[in-house]
Amino acid sequence: VNPAATGESVRVLREHELPPGGRRVVHALESTVALVNVGGRIFAFAERCPHAGGPLVHGRVSGAPLPTEREEYVWGREGRVLTCPWHGWQFDLESGRALFDSRVAVATYQVHVRDGWIEVSRR
Amino acid sequence: MIDCDVHHNFTSIKELSPWLEPTWRQYLDRGGYSGYSLPNYPWVHPSGFLMGDAAPPNGGIAGSDYDTMRSQLLDRWNAEYVVLNGEDILNVSCIPNHHFGRALARAYNRWTLETWLPQDDRLRASMVVDVEDPDGAVADIREFAQHPGVVQVLLPTGARRAYGDPFYHPVFEAAAEAGLPVAMHAGADGLGTNPPPTGAGYPRFYIEYHTLICSGAMAHLVSLLCSGLFERVPDLRLAVVETGVAWLPGVLWRLDANWKALRAEVPWVKTLPSETVQRQVRFTTQPLEQPANGTNLRKLLSAVDGMENMLMFATDYPHWDVDVATLVERRLPPEWSSKVMGENARSFYGLPVRDTEKAPA
Repeated sequence: VNPAATGESVRVLREHELPPGGRRVVHALESTVALVNVGGRIFAFAERCPHAGGPLVHGRVSGAPLPTEREEYVWGREGRVLTCPWHGWQFDLESGRALFDSRVAVATYQVHVRDGWIEVSRR
Repeated sequence: MIDCDVHHNFTSIKELSPWLEPTWRQYLDRGGYSGYSLPNYPWVHPSGFLMGDAAPPNGGIAGSDYDTMRSQLLDRWNAEYVVLNGEDILNVSCIPNHHFGRALARAYNRWTLETWLPQDDRLRASMVVDVEDPDGAVADIREFAQHPGVVQVLLPTGARRAYGDPFYHPVFEAAAEAGLPVAMHAGADGLGTNPPPTGAGYPRFYIEYHTLICSGAMAHLVSLLCSGLFERVPDLRLAVVETGVAWLPGVLWRLDANWKALRAEVPWVKTLPSETVQRQVRFTTQPLEQPANGTNLRKLLSAVDGMENMLMFATDYPHWDVDVATLVERRLPPEWSSKVMGENARSFYGLPVRDTEKAPA
């Protein structure tokens, strides 16, 4: 059985290995997967930025100014925006979609925490 | 062909007197040392800014005589329409007294509409405003847009600030509301109250100024795109006039790339800037760049999606660097010809199709 093909979950880390604020890179599902723990919620995504291959595991997690109709700044999506350390492309951590264009995305993985293990599976 | 940039002119600004109140008529007659002149270029073309053969036979300055224009441009090149953009009147907005600037702009508009347009059905006019007086400009747009011969609102690339500044938004909004495009024509850069025309200050020579004629347009276009105005006012359309076009691919590529990384700074810009340009901005071809190998220009322009829909032919008659139709057609991809030489402008300005075979002689 190949979990990369079937969508089955695979164990990648012990839960205590990724505390809030933690970041790790693992090899799973025939890919290099970055995991970040944002205040207790774990996100998993492809480790390389689709733009120029920047190491997303080092990306800052924050919010971002939301799209507005006029010239004003409205902060939102706190803790849900990942900024690539190389050129600043920003992605929604949940969907993987770039903030500038939803047609551009980084692959994200489903995350489950079961029996003290962090598991990932393909969406 | 449709010619999107033709410079008709008065030989003396005093020709505007009949359309001016006495206060301003006095400025023209007696103001300064011996009557008023519009701010003019500190750079001098050594042999003159105008075509050597365009002066009317009966006297006057090139562009001032309809019959000469008809034989040299309208008839000779079988024009379907030409857009009249005036000459130094573009510089009214760098006169410090904006009451005077607006009065001159209004007088010029009436002079064009009342004395030029009735002479030939192929003539269309840009209306001029003093853009540094946005309230006055808005009122004038609402008034002159009613005239069927007015096809756009003309602004110079020389301005006190970049056009994306909210100070100017009412002018663009009023044009869109009136159904008129705004044209941004190279000129007035570094004149009167305007800042220097380049980031390195004032060029020493005209050759430098003319080489960098696109610099103001580049800054205004990027400013407008980053202001989000095109998205907020979807009916807004912009023509960029007399700035050449080979700079466009580079600027669009840079802006698109920067926007992907820096959209957080301008979250009101929600569309890829180059897509906005394709939808709402057009560029006149003159002065079309002339690489030694013409294939390179065709390759460069073809590298921008939709470029064949964004270019509109212009001669810049009667200026020294006039582009004639046959040479422009030869320098662009042959399959773009019908669009660039006519269709794009007809659609942009909403001009009815005319059978040029039957055009008045």
